[in-house]
Amino acid sequence: MPEYPRTRPRTRGEWIYRALLQVYPREFRDEFGDAMVEFFRDRNSAARAEGTISLVRLWWRVALDLLRNALPARADALVRSLRRVRDYHRAPRTAPSLGFLRQEDRMFATMFQDLRFALRGMRRAPGFTLTVLATLAIGIGASVTIFSVVNGVLLKPLPYPEPHRIVRAQHLEPFGTVSEPEFVDYKREAKAFALLAAYRTAPVTLGGTDGEPERIEAAVVSEDFFPVLSRPMALGRSYNADENRRGGPFTTVISHGLWQRRFGGDSSVIGRQIVVNERPRTVIGVARPGTDFPNNGISIWLPMRLNYDTLWDRNNHYLELIGRLAPNATVERAGREIQTLARRFQRDFPDMYGGGALITRVTPLSNVMVADAKPYIITLFGAVGFVLLIACVNVANLMLARGESRRKEIAIRSAMGASRARVTRQALTESLLFAIAGGVLGLLAAIGGVGALRALAPSSVPRVDEVAVDPMVMLFAIGVTLLTGMLFGMGPALRAVRDDAAESLKEGGKTSSGNARGLGRMRRTLAVSEIALAVVALSGGGMMMRSLWHLQAIDLGFRPDHVLAMRLAPPQSYAGGQGAALYDRILERVRALPDVEKAAAVEDLPITDGNSMWSILVDGAPQTSVAKAPVAMPQKVTPDYFETMGIRLLRGRSFTEADRPDAQLVAVVNETMEKKLWPGKSAIGGTVKLLSEQMPWATVVGVVRDVRSRGFLEEIPPTMYFAQAQAGRIAFYVPHHMWILARTRGEPSAITASVRAIVREIEPATPIARVQTMDEAVAASVASRRFTTSLIAGFAAIAVLLAGLGVYGVITYSVNQRQFEMGIRMALGATRSRVVNHILREGLWTGVTGAAIGLVFASGATRLLRATLVEVKPGDPLTLVVVTLVLLSVAMLASWIPARRASAVDPVRTIRAE
Amino acid sequence: MPPTPQDLLPLRPIDFLILLMVAPRERHGYGIMQDVLEHTEGRIELEAGSLYRTIRRLGDQGLIEESARRPAAEADDERRRYYRLTPFGRKVAMAESARLRSLVRLAEAARLLDPLPGRARA
Repeated sequence: MPEYPRTRPRTRGEWIYRALLQVYPREFRDEFGDAMVEFFRDRNSAARAEGTISLVRLWWRVALDLLRNALPARADALVRSLRRVRDYHRAPRTAPSLGFLRQEDRMFATMFQDLRFALRGMRRAPGFTLTVLATLAIGIGASVTIFSVVNGVLLKPLPYPEPHRIVRAQHLEPFGTVSEPEFVDYKREAKAFALLAAYRTAPVTLGGTDGEPERIEAAVVSEDFFPVLSRPMALGRSYNADENRRGGPFTTVISHGLWQRRFGGDSSVIGRQIVVNERPRTVIGVARPGTDFPNNGISIWLPMRLNYDTLWDRNNHYLELIGRLAPNATVERAGREIQTLARRFQRDFPDMYGGGALITRVTPLSNVMVADAKPYIITLFGAVGFVLLIACVNVANLMLARGESRRKEIAIRSAMGASRARVTRQALTESLLFAIAGGVLGLLAAIGGVGALRALAPSSVPRVDEVAVDPMVMLFAIGVTLLTGMLFGMGPALRAVRDDAAESLKEGGKTSSGNARGLGRMRRTLAVSEIALAVVALSGGGMMMRSLWHLQAIDLGFRPDHVLAMRLAPPQSYAGGQGAALYDRILERVRALPDVEKAAAVEDLPITDGNSMWSILVDGAPQTSVAKAPVAMPQKVTPDYFETMGIRLLRGRSFTEADRPDAQLVAVVNETMEKKLWPGKSAIGGTVKLLSEQMPWATVVGVVRDVRSRGFLEEIPPTMYFAQAQAGRIAFYVPHHMWILARTRGEPSAITASVRAIVREIEPATPIARVQTMDEAVAASVASRRFTTSLIAGFAAIAVLLAGLGVYGVITYSVNQRQFEMGIRMALGATRSRVVNHILREGLWTGVTGAAIGLVFASGATRLLRATLVEVKPGDPLTLVVVTLVLLSVAMLASWIPARRASAVDPVRTIRAE
Repeated sequence: MPPTPQDLLPLRPIDFLILLMVAPRERHGYGIMQDVLEHTEGRIELEAGSLYRTIRRLGDQGLIEESARRPAAEADDERRRYYRLTPFGRKVAMAESARLRSLVRLAEAARLLDPLPGRARA
């Protein structure tokens, strides 16, 4: 304490300084405040004597000093406070109260006491602690893991500068893509775009000077493509105007992955020449690692070199567009401008555009990239939310049970003077400790979970490389932990306060007081809510599983089992008639292999490849415009194709060796095409030709079953098949890039090496782009959906398990409470089975109530799943019935175990124990 | 076990400097600041916050203590706080000085410093 009263401030400056000193902790101020004021006084008078500049300098230094020392001083004060508390606890206690510590230390002291108490409690009941921690770890771990997916895929902005200004301009109907003249017009007229670029993807052959020729996926891009993304290169640069112009030098940009894989990450790759599709190109840049555009499979970007003088036809649609908005433009304005221009096209070129309107859309890029995955991810997040909720309810139940068993102890403490606030605080501390411990375990589990997810997720999940436990995810983990702690901590804390101390201390207070009954009711309510939540979760999961099953049971139209598919890309010299002969030779050798039943070749594989629709004429119809002509998807195949793929021939015949270019020109159509273009009669004998003037007519000789093309669920397009040999005459060209298909007796992948050898022998310069069995191809197309559905089903199962545990806990507790009563009953003559039935009824009641509530919510909640369901209606009755039965049996099983145990107990002992 | 002087070595430069300033006689805060300023030829100018935090730290370590208050040089009825070395503080200051001297001797031997006049070259 100061020996003399503090003097009054002398000057205004001193007054300000005293005010500033408040920043320091009180302890420090008490000790040194006067001295510091004295110090300041001396400096102040000295500075005033020297002049204004000195004064300014003084205040500057004072400010710096304050900034530098205030926080450390506060930290010091904290440490000293903690030390005092620690020393206090070590020293022999002479009085039970905490009056010897200072005011600010008291808070720490009580906190420590609460923590020690809570830790002791945890150690004394290891089973309880373990159960609670495990439950929390599951709930928190699962939610953090899934949140990292939500964060990485949906929430994080794309890794481009100002990603919200990058948009995709699409044609929706009737074409899905854009033609060159349309692109040029958009570019010129749509002022909402600062930059507009076009691109398409195509597989190309990377020449094999230093290795085998390799098929890689390329993106062919116009000149503004990289400026739209404006992501800097890892090495080198992107195209300049010269290189993206016809007549300029041939250059290319490669992806980071390709750079590492094929060029060993060697920085001298810049300026090197590589051969792409037999043309040498100079590598001018390497892209940064991470999300490649337009998809992760792109290994190389090639300049489009649009010739603005000779653009392709307006009705030749094949481009995609991407653009960057002008500084003050919005997505809506860009959309309006594009749509207006589209309408103008229709007005100016009526022959090109049919009756239907050209519908366009402009969307932010981030939406586009994740659009398919979004509903699944959100559903997954919802499912895991259920797991977390049920886990919280379980833990709350457990805490309540324990609180009940400690009532005597708490009553004693209250009687000895602990205030209600203190008791509540202690209960909260305990809950918080559990929550934090559970949270840490959950976070560790989530780190493992994220690692597993990234390893197992199919590559079709967008942006999967951005799923990680980053600061945002950690923040979520902390938030979830605290929320969880509050959720399950509130119950016991409130109860602890409400208990009547005197009642609890009475003999037999356990069974007869109203408190116990009230507690039992609360716990039963919680158990009912758990069942309800589990019903909703399982319904959702069940419906998704049924969707998946439907999807996989969809009739593909062909038999994918035992078929090997191998994509060949022979060099350009085979374009033109020679392609047919090459495949003939290869197929002859393949058929000769011992295990092969049938072999054929096709240009586009069902399910995995798509194809565009071509305009056609039917049955001698006169030449008409693109707008008015019907369309069909062309496929070029070798004889035996339908037999190899197991596509059923409905009528007529399929292709044979006799279908040569000089023989009658023939075609085979699918059911859809027959129904559409020859309604009510057979297509056999009809004629079809492509819309181009010089194309000859072909006669339809066969009708085959529909085959699902890319996208299981899309409408099957009218499809026409041409013989590969004749394709040069009736379909513009003979394809030389085709899939070799072989139906085997045994395992299809067993003949891979032999077929490779055959190809290498016949034409060594042919890279083999892809090899897969048709089963794999089909599975890959549902891989993404199957992955998320499995996850959701897994979480639903965990939810059911936790709910079952919850019911078990409640029933056990209630059985324990009523042991006395049951003992009397049995002593008075009730049979064991009566007792067991009584308990089982209670369990059934819990289950039925919970299921009823859950069903009400489930039929509503599953409506949200509509986007992901296939041929299953939300509120599907079959699923709901099955789910109800499952949960009821779980509830019964959970009641049966304690019931058995209870009935096995000796009644006399029970009564005596009271 | 109470700490020995050796336990606290090496001292922070600022700590040693302050011990040096109060070693010959008691000083108050402002005076310490002035002495340090003068002895370092204006290079180190202590401010209130840093100074008193250091003084507190040295006090916690038992090196300096507050002495009786005395009236200020200017007679205006004020009483300032004065600080002085504790016996333990003196021991520590002496130990640190000895440590520094042995370092200086090493520097002289390595010809990094010219030896002070009156001492033979080692």
